[in-house]
Amino acid sequence: MTKPTDIDGVDNDQVLAGELALRVLSPAEEASARAREAQEPVFAAHVEAWNERLAGLAEGISPVEPSPWVWPRVEAGLTAPAAANDNNVVFWRRWAIGSTGLLAASLAAVVVLLAQSVSAPVAPSAPMAVTRVATLTLESGAAAMTIAYDPGTGELYLAPTEAMAGDVRVPHLWLVMPEGGVQLVGAIDGSHTSRHSLPQSLSGLAGQAQAVAVSMEAPGHTPAPNKPDGPVVASGELQRL
Amino acid sequence: MSAILTREELATALGRAGQGDRAAFRSVYDATSAKLLGVTLRILADRQLAEDVLQDTYLTVWKKAASFDASRASPITWLVTIARNRAIDRLRSGGAMRQSTPIDETVNVIADDAPSPAQALETGDDVRRLNECIGQLDDRTGGAIRTAFIEGVTYDALAVRENVPLGTMKSWIRRGLMRLRACLES
Repeated sequence: MTKPTDIDGVDNDQVLAGELALRVLSPAEEASARAREAQEPVFAAHVEAWNERLAGLAEGISPVEPSPWVWPRVEAGLTAPAAANDNNVVFWRRWAIGSTGLLAASLAAVVVLLAQSVSAPVAPSAPMAVTRVATLTLESGAAAMTIAYDPGTGELYLAPTEAMAGDVRVPHLWLVMPEGGVQLVGAIDGSHTSRHSLPQSLSGLAGQAQAVAVSMEAPGHTPAPNKPDGPVVASGELQRL
Repeated sequence: MSAILTREELATALGRAGQGDRAAFRSVYDATSAKLLGVTLRILADRQLAEDVLQDTYLTVWKKAASFDASRASPITWLVTIARNRAIDRLRSGGAMRQSTPIDETVNVIADDAPSPAQALETGDDVRRLNECIGQLDDRTGGAIRTAFIEGVTYDALAVRENVPLGTMKSWIRRGLMRLRACLES
């Protein structure tokens, strides 16, 4: 197997995996590396190996006994683990199946899809009670889209710039999760502002997500909920207001 | 008052937690929560935030324990990675006001170089080897990698701290990582 190497003979994938594990990358670089981690098992194994190599650095950190209230709060949050996961899977699957047919029809239908599969749409207007925002930028540095998300209500507001318009491919929004991996939110309208209300299973994940990214998928194609098939063209860190 | 568990005992307890065993999960918490709070506190430098993240971390551990594979990762590495990533996400989400608590003031959480016996969660050989290999890097590179890991800072922040161009910092760390890997695998 050939590996991409630069003129110094450095294995670039190994370096990138190390940088991702060490968390030194910029938000955009990190989002794109996380997407690769989700897509490429070999790259994901490199990242895991780096986590294992570097974790010994924590040995030098002195332990600090947590306050007594931490455990009761953890315990209060315990649910049956399998049930919680299943809900998410069902949601992703439903969204993915639902989107295939509509996307094949036309891009305009995407807005309808989002409205129908989630809940009644709210007319686009100024976002209210917004607590997390992200500006997604293209690799060129140009702004592609602004996102505002209110974890309290699950309201998601999307405002694409003209940079996203005119592409025949269909933009898909992804959450970049803290432990690595990405979660599909769904197909989005790349040419008009839109507003959506996320169901509880998704709003929790969106509240934890560290960044958002957009992949461009072939018309009519729906990627797996944890893996974009098209290129990741834009990403941005979720910032708290 | 952390209970000391061997690597095998911790892996077993995590496996049981993955099947919904709350008592096993509690033993994981008792054995590792002080270590993980040390990790989140060094990154966030704010006790309340660090304990919030600790709480999130264990809820994540509970949900993901079933996916822990003892043949591929050491249990403490797996836990530290989750806690560290959570703390860094919180730091970068802007929720943490790190500058409000300068790291120098958190005297009681500054690490000694010599690990105490009570911290002996990780196998000593791996850590010794890692320290030897980092010791073979030049001081500024080894220091930058340690700082990046322990404080969770990006290339940008490291370059500003060291007062070197971003490209220089990247090249130190990238080369350092490759040497580290070669050393660890030799």
